[in-house]
Amino acid sequence: MSAGLRAVRLGTFVVVAVSAMAPFTLLALWSVGGDWFYPALLPRSFTGRWWGDLLQDGRLLSAAATSLMLGAGTGILTCAAGLPVGQALSQASGWRRHAGAAMAFLPVAAPPIALAAGVQYSFLRLGLGGTLTGVLLAHAIPAIGYGSLFFLGVFEVFDRRVEDEARSLGASPRQVLVRVLLPLLRRPLADAFLLGFLVSWSQVPLTLLIGGGPVRTLPIEVFSLVRAGQDPAAATGALIMLIPALAALAATRLGAARTEVVAL
Amino acid sequence: MRRGVWLAGLVASPVIVGLVYSFAGATGIAGFGAHGSYTLDRIRRVLSEQAVWESLWWTVRTSALATVLAGCAAVLAAALFRGTKTLDRAATTLAVLPLPIPHLVAAATAALVLGQSGLLARVAVTAGWISAPAQMPPLVYDRPGIGLILALGWKEFPFLALVAFSVVATRGAALEETARTLGAGPWQTFWRVTWPVLWRGLGPAAVAVFAFAAGSYETAALLGPSDPLPLPALTYERYTDADLARRGDAFVLSLLGLLLATGVVALHEWLRHRVRRLDG
Repeated sequence: MSAGLRAVRLGTFVVVAVSAMAPFTLLALWSVGGDWFYPALLPRSFTGRWWGDLLQDGRLLSAAATSLMLGAGTGILTCAAGLPVGQALSQASGWRRHAGAAMAFLPVAAPPIALAAGVQYSFLRLGLGGTLTGVLLAHAIPAIGYGSLFFLGVFEVFDRRVEDEARSLGASPRQVLVRVLLPLLRRPLADAFLLGFLVSWSQVPLTLLIGGGPVRTLPIEVFSLVRAGQDPAAATGALIMLIPALAALAATRLGAARTEVVAL
Repeated sequence: MRRGVWLAGLVASPVIVGLVYSFAGATGIAGFGAHGSYTLDRIRRVLSEQAVWESLWWTVRTSALATVLAGCAAVLAAALFRGTKTLDRAATTLAVLPLPIPHLVAAATAALVLGQSGLLARVAVTAGWISAPAQMPPLVYDRPGIGLILALGWKEFPFLALVAFSVVATRGAALEETARTLGAGPWQTFWRVTWPVLWRGLGPAAVAVFAFAAGSYETAALLGPSDPLPLPALTYERYTDADLARRGDAFVLSLLGLLLATGVVALHEWLRHRVRRLDG
């Protein structure tokens, strides 16, 4: 390897490393920085005030609890709906396969704000506007799209002969599912749960329109804090938003890599 | 098997409901200010507004530039860090690390870094390049959308890098080996083999990234200018307008957004089909 290439590699590595660590470092600094006014490069002092406010006020905490619940619910729906759709799609071929994959991708690619505007009326008619259930179902729209594509990827490399073998040994379809498929798919199911969780955890526009005010999730609170220019409080909230995101990444070890279209 | 298509249709059904209702709202059949009869007046009026076209063009341009930025960075990373040394492994792990960071967090961080009294401006003051915040070129709420392009490019880079790493590993290695055996130098191998394999492999993912970037409301609302308003922000503004007659205009915009997304999805599937065929 030439010296020039080595220098380019090292330089690029530094840029990648700094850019990957930047949000964690900066948000952490902002959340404990006191007297940090322009043009000071670093905070003059450190304070636990923002974290204290957060614990006392309880608004961000209850919003975080709402988000956790919605995330868990969305994760379950992603698995429950994504698995059968992905499995059925993996057995299709030709134009049906293409049309199916495209349709599953549609809710993922649709601009959430346009989607929310389009479905809000139906949600209101069903009495779901401004309710937690409504927001959960709204979050599930893109999440199930992701989940279907994820399981399509999983079943593409899945050896179907295992099912056939269990069937020929006398297992009922239900037994195949419970005794063979689910245990084999434990890992992808965990990945899909986290995928759905994250889609819900980072959602803003669908919550904004379908939740319509009464449903306050963590992203909604952080979004208002950033807009209000309350930097330290916003940074503290944003930092909390990072925790499950990173935990999920560590847990899945990039299980999402199996799908070709997954980007959060 | 037909079941797959039907089930996928169910997955897509909310979008189809959204399309139908947006169409009904845009043509005056239903929704705010509806008169129950079909008319193209509203669509004509909204589409004759210059602000709408500027908004659409602004969103398409910034999303395309962010996609190109992230794509180039991903290709560079995949070409440079493809070995198995510690540096390669550390670089690929770090490149993918920000993948699950929400758009909102990326936008909030970008606002703190790029704002006129943000971290970048402070670095510039400390280094003596500028002396007042006003001298800092605006990178947030700016008309060219530099802050938004940087934030979206940064946000989408890990996903494209992940795809690029796997494309190089699965499709590139054997072909490159063949090229080298046939006497190609390192540059020839890169331009004739690695690069074509990479950009074809990245195509569908890049199209998906474009859709995510163009549809992201929170990044547009926190970093975009107020003139022109990015399309997702304009849609929200019209949808929540105090004037009920103007609210109906939002359906023309949501129809536009959903139709664009449908086109992008078709392009994505077609590109994926082409890449598959190359694999044989």
